[in-house]
Amino acid sequence: MTADKGTSRYDPTFARELSKMENGEYVSQCMQCGLCVVTCPARHLMDLQPRKYFKAIQAGDKDKVLKANTPWLCTSCNLCTVRCPRGIPIIDFMHGMKKYLADTKGAKVTPGALFSKTFFDNMISRGRLWEAFLTGMFYLKAGPKAMRDAMKMTDVAIPMVMKRRLPPLPGKAVKGKKDLKKIYKKASALAKEGH
Amino acid sequence: MAYIYYPGCASEATGKSNHISFEAVAHALGLELAGEIPDWNCCGATLVANAIGDFAQMALACRNLALAEKKGHDIIVACSSCYLNLAWPNELMRINPEFGKKLNEALGAANLSYSGKLKIKHVVDVLANEIGVERIKERTIKPLNGLKVACYSGCQTVRALRRPDFDDVEYPQVMGRIVEAVGAEAVDFPLAARCCGGSQQFANPELIYDLTGKVLDSAAAAGADVIVTTCPMCAMNTDVFQEKIGKLNKKKYKMPVLFLTQLMGVAFDLKPKDLAFGYNIVSPYGKLKKYGVKK
Ligand code: SF4
Ligand code: SF4
Repeated sequence: MTADKGTSRYDPTFARELSKMENGEYVSQCMQCGLCVVTCPARHLMDLQPRKYFKAIQAGDKDKVLKANTPWLCTSCNLCTVRCPRGIPIIDFMHGMKKYLADTKGAKVTPGALFSKTFFDNMISRGRLWEAFLTGMFYLKAGPKAMRDAMKMTDVAIPMVMKRRLPPLPGKAVKGKKDLKKIYKKASALAKEGH
Repeated sequence: MAYIYYPGCASEATGKSNHISFEAVAHALGLELAGEIPDWNCCGATLVANAIGDFAQMALACRNLALAEKKGHDIIVACSSCYLNLAWPNELMRINPEFGKKLNEALGAANLSYSGKLKIKHVVDVLANEIGVERIKERTIKPLNGLKVACYSGCQTVRALRRPDFDDVEYPQVMGRIVEAVGAEAVDFPLAARCCGGSQQFANPELIYDLTGKVLDSAAAAGADVIVTTCPMCAMNTDVFQEKIGKLNKKKYKMPVLFLTQLMGVAFDLKPKDLAFGYNIVSPYGKLKKYGVKK
């Protein structure tokens, strides 16, 4: 490892900052055993496998952490969480990390962040998901390159529509939509307080 | 006592056949249902926490628990991801009273509250451990002799609560017991609890092609005629994406993907409309013809 032109790339406050985000307090407990790595089904596509990701956080290697695609490839499969010998709820940490990255200026906007946000917008505005709309919105927001990706999905989309698995019209919206917004607001404030 | 049912959003779209066949099988087995949770909302799947954090997602999901408690019923869930999202905060309330307090503060914003006392059960758990395989065997009219089934547990069902009295987190067996009760053979399927890639179809499609491809390969190598699952996401990836992945891998899988209750419905000789095979992408008719399933 080489330091960037004289200045250290390690930011000692970074680990502390992350430990304050939701579910961020667990990273310091990682003992680098690597069990999560041999477990993770997405490891070969990650810039940093989970163990290295945690090490980079512990070391304060902010740049590397903010650039890594690790959390966005995490599928929430929960297998590392049931196996981690330190009992670290890695899946919960990844959720917190994704929110942190999405909220952090300068961190890359990934398709995963956009999809999660679009999903949430759909859920909170209707109370229930409307999958056809979610998919359409996602590609629309993701820009021209994504539209080309969308075209590559027509071979999958057409049978789904034909088999009525992607209804073009929405189902019933939830009557208590306003309640959901209230719960969301209060819960977000409480989550902030607690950290 | 009757369970109240949480269908989840997939019941309205990609997982419709899970929903339809569950209700039919529940009825056939005399499992009493107290309807759906009135005005239920989305549980957040595996995605909402990424945008708003775990606690806020759990609070939104727990509105459903508060509504169910008003009706006075324990909850039954047919979707794996919904099960995780409802059962896990319920479990947290039991082990961490502080969490329960905070959760109720959030629910209080909508004049709701939840005591933490309900039981939240996955359909597979209720079928295998409450109704029991004996009853399922008794109800079987057309045993599925000779049908080789890869029981695809996936991630969330067994790993949500890690309850050994429900199933083993590393080597799930419960679904296999049900499949054998209806006369089929549960093949040894090494990737039974391996991830299909979940909800990454659009954000990271190459991940789905890769992981789901491995699952399909494993089921094929195990000699399975069909894959059976209870997870709408697993079903979508293995069924809807099967042909596409086959093209990429230069393979013809031809592996129908059924929801567990669809398969049970065949053995119970339920009406075709209750089996809901019209929603399946990979045609199941060839493999199921000898058990009387017609288009
Ligand atoms: S399994 Fe747990 S302790 Fe081991 S490297 Fe992974 S996070 Fe760290
Ligand atoms: S939960 Fe995420 S990090 Fe853990 S094994 Fe699954 S995909 Fe990998």
